[in-house]
Amino acid sequence: MPAAVLLRGGGRLYLVPSSGGAAPSVPLGRDADDGARQVAAGFSVPLRDEVVRWIRSQRAPSPLATAGAGLAEALGRAGLAARAATEDELRAALALRPPAPLREEREFRLAALRRQLDLALASDTETLIALSREEARVERALRREVGALDQFLAPSSGPLADQREDAERYRDAVERHYATLVGRVETVARRVLPNLSAVVGPRVAARLFAAAGDVGALARIPAARLQVLGSHRRPGGGHGPRFGLIYEAARMVDVPEGARGRYARSLAALAVVAARADLLTHRDVAAPLLAKRDRRVEALRRRR
Amino acid sequence: MRRSAGWRPFPDAPHLFVHDEAGGEALWTEALGDPPQVYGERVAESDDRVLRRWEAGRSKLSAAILRGYEGPIPAPSERWLYLGAASGTTASHVADLVGGDGTVYAVEKSLRPSVRLLRLAERYPNLLPILADARRPDEYAGDVSICDGLYVDIAQVDQVEIALANARRFLRRDGLVLLALKTASMGREKDPAGHLAEAKARLEAVLDLERPVALDPFHRRHYLLAGRPTPGLYRAPVTPASGSPGRRRVERRR
Repeated sequence: MPAAVLLRGGGRLYLVPSSGGAAPSVPLGRDADDGARQVAAGFSVPLRDEVVRWIRSQRAPSPLATAGAGLAEALGRAGLAARAATEDELRAALALRPPAPLREEREFRLAALRRQLDLALASDTETLIALSREEARVERALRREVGALDQFLAPSSGPLADQREDAERYRDAVERHYATLVGRVETVARRVLPNLSAVVGPRVAARLFAAAGDVGALARIPAARLQVLGSHRRPGGGHGPRFGLIYEAARMVDVPEGARGRYARSLAALAVVAARADLLTHRDVAAPLLAKRDRRVEALRRRR
Repeated sequence: MRRSAGWRPFPDAPHLFVHDEAGGEALWTEALGDPPQVYGERVAESDDRVLRRWEAGRSKLSAAILRGYEGPIPAPSERWLYLGAASGTTASHVADLVGGDGTVYAVEKSLRPSVRLLRLAERYPNLLPILADARRPDEYAGDVSICDGLYVDIAQVDQVEIALANARRFLRRDGLVLLALKTASMGREKDPAGHLAEAKARLEAVLDLERPVALDPFHRRHYLLAGRPTPGLYRAPVTPASGSPGRRRVERRR
């Protein structure tokens, strides 16, 4: 049983003695925001020298009992032995840790969460998912706009003609906006999912990723599921859908209509291999997959 | 707010009101945030207070109270740990119930709901958002304190074990656990009643349980379980709470 638990409270580290009494503390960062940054990063940044010196000067027991794997690892990197506090130790330490004023606690919490979200949302994978969802949304908007404009009949002059001209300008602006967006999606998709982008095309690769939801989900997805990802269930009974997003994939148009279900099935099998290479092994497996894909397209075209 | 028109205070809950409406009784809480509206709910104002309608279809605790739950609920000045806050719909009402002198720690694991939770917390003085996995309570121990209550609404297979792991660490010895049990997330091997029985048996061993309340028709196949710790809670856990169990494999019937 150690004599103390090293426990974070907001942006400070408290050394809480198990016997009770005063719990000395040290600020984690140079200022509140610096502390929030370290917490947001899960202590992957090194602890400040002052903090490490302070812990040593407290003649803390070794190994130190502490809560949270990130903090224990950071202590380990600083040369301080640490282990996970047991439930009982943690509960006792929490009861003894001096309370911070609510306002201070809240400001730290909000700052830390802002940092965390900033870090997480700026990651390549989250960027790709967000961009792809935006691309899908703008595509729908554009299609609606083009459809509405088709219905708009106008004489060659007068206020109705002016309105039509403005509406066309608006549609052109949305089209340009959409083209830029697709460019961004494709750039990020080629970087994050190089193999999958090669096999199904970067835009569809991004859509598949967004539909799966996150890295873990796409890395674990079975081919049969990926094949129908983004499809809607058919109304009534009968057979399920044959394809979802993959219907828009590369080379689908080269396959005769009657064979597209077969192609979707083969392509999905290749796509999961590509996705796993992208997310797990980070190897380049595009060339053999592409060769297989194109052989399959040729075979399906020769049938009949 | 017209005092005559079917409004009455909820017993022992100064921030909670009952309103007789065309479709039956509805709950309203005294809004702490500014602006008061959080998720599109109706808002009513009087000279001395602003109330928000606590939609039973959106919040399992509201549904439970309307369906006859008579046990304790979050009380003023209390500190609550809320697991599975999502974008803060129910969490904001719990924050209303504990009032300006209370605190709600709202834990949410997913990124996108957390963005909305942050926006909410920025205008809710007593709501502290935490981006973390409730399965790993040690990771956010530095952000919470010993709490008077634990509200769990996480729709995971192991939701009961997650609740107990958090209760053991963060709940006061005579604190209150409120668990919204979503049986649809617990696998298809058992029917809702079977899942309820299993959860009840597990919880009864370590908590002093109230009678479970079914949340139909507001939330189908959901139950609210409430209780206070018994000494058994602090004995060594029967099943170690470690890592995600993943999705449970379902046996195919022939």
